[in-house]
Parts: sequence; structure tokens; C-alpha cells
Amino acid sequence: MIPLLGTVLLSAQNKQILYDFYEIPQALMVNPGAKAQEKWHVGLPALSGISVQAGASGVSVNDLFANDGIDFNVKVRERVINALSERDDFSSTSQIELFNLGFRGKNRREDYYSFGMYTETDVIVYWPKDLAILAFEGNGGANIGRSFDLGHLNLRGEMVNVFHFGVNRKVNQELTLGLRAKLYSGVFQFKSTNNSGRFRTVPGQENTLENSIDADMQLQTAGVDGFLDIIDADTGNTSSEIQDLFTRRLFLGGNLGLGFDAGFTYQLNPQTTVTGSILDVGFIYNSKDIRNFTLRGSASNEGINVFLPEDIDNLGVDLWQELVDEIEAAVPFEENGQGYISFRPIKIYGSIRYDFGEGSSKTSRIDCGCAINVARGNSGSYYRNSIGGQMFLLKRPLGIQPALTGFYQRRLGKSLSIKTTYTVDKYSFSNVGLGINLQAGPVNFYILGDNLLSYQNIADSRYASLQFGFNIISWNGN
Amino acid sequence: MRTTSSLCFAILFCLFFFPSCSEEQDFDQFDDLSITPAIASSIFSVEASEDFINSVSTLSAFYTQTFVFEAFNEQFVAERLLEGNITYDFENSTSKPINIIIEFLDEGGNVLDFESFDIAAGPGEMVSRTVDYGPNGKPLFLLTNTANLRLTGRNLGDNTSVSTEPEAKFIMKSAAEFLFQLVE
Repeated sequence: MIPLLGTVLLSAQNKQILYDFYEIPQALMVNPGAKAQEKWHVGLPALSGISVQAGASGVSVNDLFANDGIDFNVKVRERVINALSERDDFSSTSQIELFNLGFRGKNRREDYYSFGMYTETDVIVYWPKDLAILAFEGNGGANIGRSFDLGHLNLRGEMVNVFHFGVNRKVNQELTLGLRAKLYSGVFQFKSTNNSGRFRTVPGQENTLENSIDADMQLQTAGVDGFLDIIDADTGNTSSEIQDLFTRRLFLGGNLGLGFDAGFTYQLNPQTTVTGSILDVGFIYNSKDIRNFTLRGSASNEGINVFLPEDIDNLGVDLWQELVDEIEAAVPFEENGQGYISFRPIKIYGSIRYDFGEGSSKTSRIDCGCAINVARGNSGSYYRNSIGGQMFLLKRPLGIQPALTGFYQRRLGKSLSIKTTYTVDKYSFSNVGLGINLQAGPVNFYILGDNLLSYQNIADSRYASLQFGFNIISWNGN
Repeated sequence: MRTTSSLCFAILFCLFFFPSCSEEQDFDQFDDLSITPAIASSIFSVEASEDFINSVSTLSAFYTQTFVFEAFNEQFVAERLLEGNITYDFENSTSKPINIIIEFLDEGGNVLDFESFDIAAGPGEMVSRTVDYGPNGKPLFLLTNTANLRLTGRNLGDNTSVSTEPEAKFIMKSAAEFLFQLVE
């Protein structure tokens, strides 16, 4: 059988529709301990390309760019500068699954092995509130006396290629466990987190104003400089050189790391199931192509201060340059090439599902002779309906980002399954999602869309995600 | 069953395949973005004790200093300077009137502009003078072409009298607050 199309994921970190949608093979990617029902599956990308999802927790495109006749600067001031907090973020995550295969063990039919490779890009930038106010309003006027928190600078981004291999084992009728090992090949990484310090302007002692800075800031980058060097060199072969470097980094030529996913599915009774998973417990050791920037120190100045007669001997000294040098020495802006460890953003899922509405035997795959997880009377696929709740936790630079989801899933015969979700998180309180899984013979197609209500005015959406993919699934000996 | 499936397909078709809507957006508005922070900083201060002022002949300046001052003529700053002011504060608790002259010199040492302040003998209240630059004040090029400042202090009184104030001194402070066009 020729695999037709693979999987393209365009999604946020939270894949709440895919989670526990175990009819879809890629559900194993968000819970390696999900109920794997297939004998084998194959997914290959149909089209190369990268898609990006974007989310903003405090402002939408429509808030700023609606053709509403309001002065743009007023909108920026009222809806961004004065409205966003330092915990609001702009984030983007994209994932392209380059290939994904799975097969059931010959000797251990309760084991399902899956492996593949995907490229993930993840960027989050928190709104640097005080730094933005400093840039927009300055330290003068009403801001004299205000302390600007330099710790509001928080950003993180990376692109990694992930090679993974997972084992899913049905331990018994109630329990399924799964583990997935991951090898990360970093393309680039940058982060500026855990910054601290302040800048403020107050009435001075020796002069009218005193500017003071106390900074402990750092920006770490790995893999970025290599691309910038190629662009700067501009040899006329830039595109090819970038492509070569990119390919090399994708295939273990960059900074490497290790990680794992783990998960379980436990059937409390024939109709009630709990699941859980933890993803991307891992790190990358960044030792190649490192360029870090630091700004550390304390300084205050009140301009050039001359005290007579004490400074009478300083006549002729370049006082201005002396002042500048003094500040630069006290708060040096420096570079270094020290390697560092970056941890992957850990994700945790949990769910409870209640199945009901017993279907006929036609609705299950009981006759296929391969579906290890399917058995009359205790299989979820034997029930037409599922209802439940899910929890999602994501580790972000400023703490844990939670999401809660309620869902309803309906199975219509062997070939169609629909899942609807309602999710509450920092991006939206009205996130209604819908997923469809179609099984036409061995060909599996799924499409999962999030925040569908926002499609009424997509520009006003603060969050959107779409996942879709094709798989070839074998339920029997075909 | 067939009816249910058809209904579901219809709903799904509507949800997934109908084109999404969007209010009209005008991304050209970004060109209107204007970021004009007000930057404030002290410039220089001079503090001279009465003893020191008395020690210098009244015929000559008790203090004169030329120093490099390139805060405004840095290209990044000069191109973005919109308007602002420099405020001078004077406190004189000495027994003699003081004259302060601040000259703005270009790179060739030529005087572009100057400010002269006569401060009455103390003790007295703090005197504050503000000089505006930009559309409602002096032309900005006076600042953007300034490479050096020359500060001169003269004793307009005698050099024998002594103030009754404890630790009598003359203090001059200065600070600038200017608007910059960071993004236009």
C-alpha cells in the first residue's frame, strides 16, 4: 500500500482536540500511552512548507488595524501601552511532521512502536511593559520618579528537529503505558529570561536629576550567528549557504539534546477512562555557534558635577567623555561565547472521559482481528459518545500556563468521528474547537480546528490553530 | 443514520470550509506610528564655595571651563531631536552677585549661542530659568551643532565680604528634557 500523504500540524502548544482522540495515530504524539488501535500506520508529508500559528493574549490584529478611523497612535497607546501587562505574550508555534510511522510488535502484539521526525519552531515574547513605556514615553515628564523594571524583558525561541521513538504497551485491559525517547537537533535557540534590574530618574542631590540603572540582564543565543554571518557575507550564494547550514543543523549538525515523553491510559470502569501525559522533558546543550550578551552592573549619574575648589585641578579634563566612560565601566555591555543548557517547554496533559451510548458491533473494529485495545464491552470505540474534561499545563518563562477543556466526542459508524471542545485559557474564554476524523478504508484523514467562533472576524481573534493530516492505517493484514 | 450523517457533514462543511470573515483591516496605519519619548537628564552642575570665589580676583572669572559636550550632535540624536528645553537652577547664598555665561561652541570653537545669567547676591530663593528649543524656542541647530560648552563664572561683587549664611556657596544646576522622534 502506498502511503499517500503525511501530516502537517499547524498548532499551538495545546493540542486539546488531538489529545485522547485515539482514532488518530498522531494522538500518540501527545500521549504515548494513548490507546493505540492500529496494526500499523504510515504518514508522510504531502507538501513541504512551514505553517505558523500565532497567539496574542492581550490584543488582536483587529484591535490595532481595523479601518475604524481612530488614530493609530491612540489605539497603540490605549490598547497596547496602557492595556497590556508584562504577563501578556505574543507566541507562535509551528510543527511540521516530516514522517511518522508505527507498527505493532510481531511477537508482542500488546506493544505498538512508533517513530518519526518533526521540526518544531516555538517563539514566545512577553510584552516588555516597562521597557515599552520607557521607549514610548521616555523617562521625562510624568515618568520622573518612576522605576522601570528591566525584568520585563522575557523572550524565548527555538527551532529544533526532533527524532523520536516510542513504545506503547497495553499492560492489561485497564492500563496502557507509553514512553517516547527524543533526540533534539537544534537549528537555533535564543532566550532572555530571569532578567532583573531597574532604571529610574529622580530629583538629584548634586544636580537637578539623577538617572540610575541597576541591571542584571542577559540574552543567550545559539545557532543564530551562523545564519547572520552568511547574510552579512553576502557572497551571492546566500540562499544556498543558508539552506546547507539549515539542513546540516536539522540532521544532528547543530546543538544536540535529549528528552522523553511519557503517558498512560487507565480504564476505571468499562465506561470511564483517565489519561495523562508529560511531554518534552528534555534539554539541549548549546555549545556551538554561541553568542551571548550581558548588561550587568549599577551606575547613577547627575551629569558633569564640578565642585570648587576641589575640582579646580580638573580644568581641561574631558569631563563628558570621562562621564560616559565611567558609566560604561560600571554597567558594561559585554559578549561571551559560553555554552548553556536550554530546557524544552514541558507540557502536561490529563483527562477523564466517560463513554456512553452503546453502539452496534458494526461501529467497532472488533472484527478486524488486530486491534489489541478493542474488546467487546470494554472498549471506548464500542460506545458512540464520549464526554469529559481535559487539563493542559505548559511551562513558560513566567510560570505555568494552564488550560481547561471540556469535550464531547461522537462516533458515527466506522468511518467518522467528531470531537468538539470548549477551552478556557489565557488567550480566550470562547474557544470552541472541532475535530473530524475520517476513515475511508485504509486512508485516514483528520482536520482539527480551534477557536472557530473567531472565524466570524478572524482579525479579531487572539488565538487560532489548525491541524490536519493524512495517514494510511492498517487495521488488519492488508 | 443517513440523515444524521448528512446533517453532520453539512455542519462540518459550514464550519470548516466556509470562508472566514474579517473586518476590513488597514495595515498602512502602521506608517502613522509615531514614537516620541521625552528624555530627561542632568547636564552639568557647578558648586563654588564663597571662600573660593573670594580667593580669585574680581577682575577675572573665578571659573571657566570648556568641555566636550556631544549629547546633541550625535547623529542618531541630532536626526531625531524635535523640541525641548534646558532648565538652569541657581542658588546663591554668598554675599556677592554672580554672572554665569554658558557658550555653545561648534567643532571649530565658534560661538553658536550663549546664555547669560545674573544672579543677585544671596541669600535668596532658588532662581530657575528655562530656555526652549524647537518650534516655540531657539532653533535646534544651535544644539545639534554644539560640540563644546564653555562655562564661565564671574564675581560681580567684591572679594572680601562674607555671607552670614553658614557654608555660603553658589550652586548652578542644569537639566535637559527633549522629545525625540524614535519612529516616524
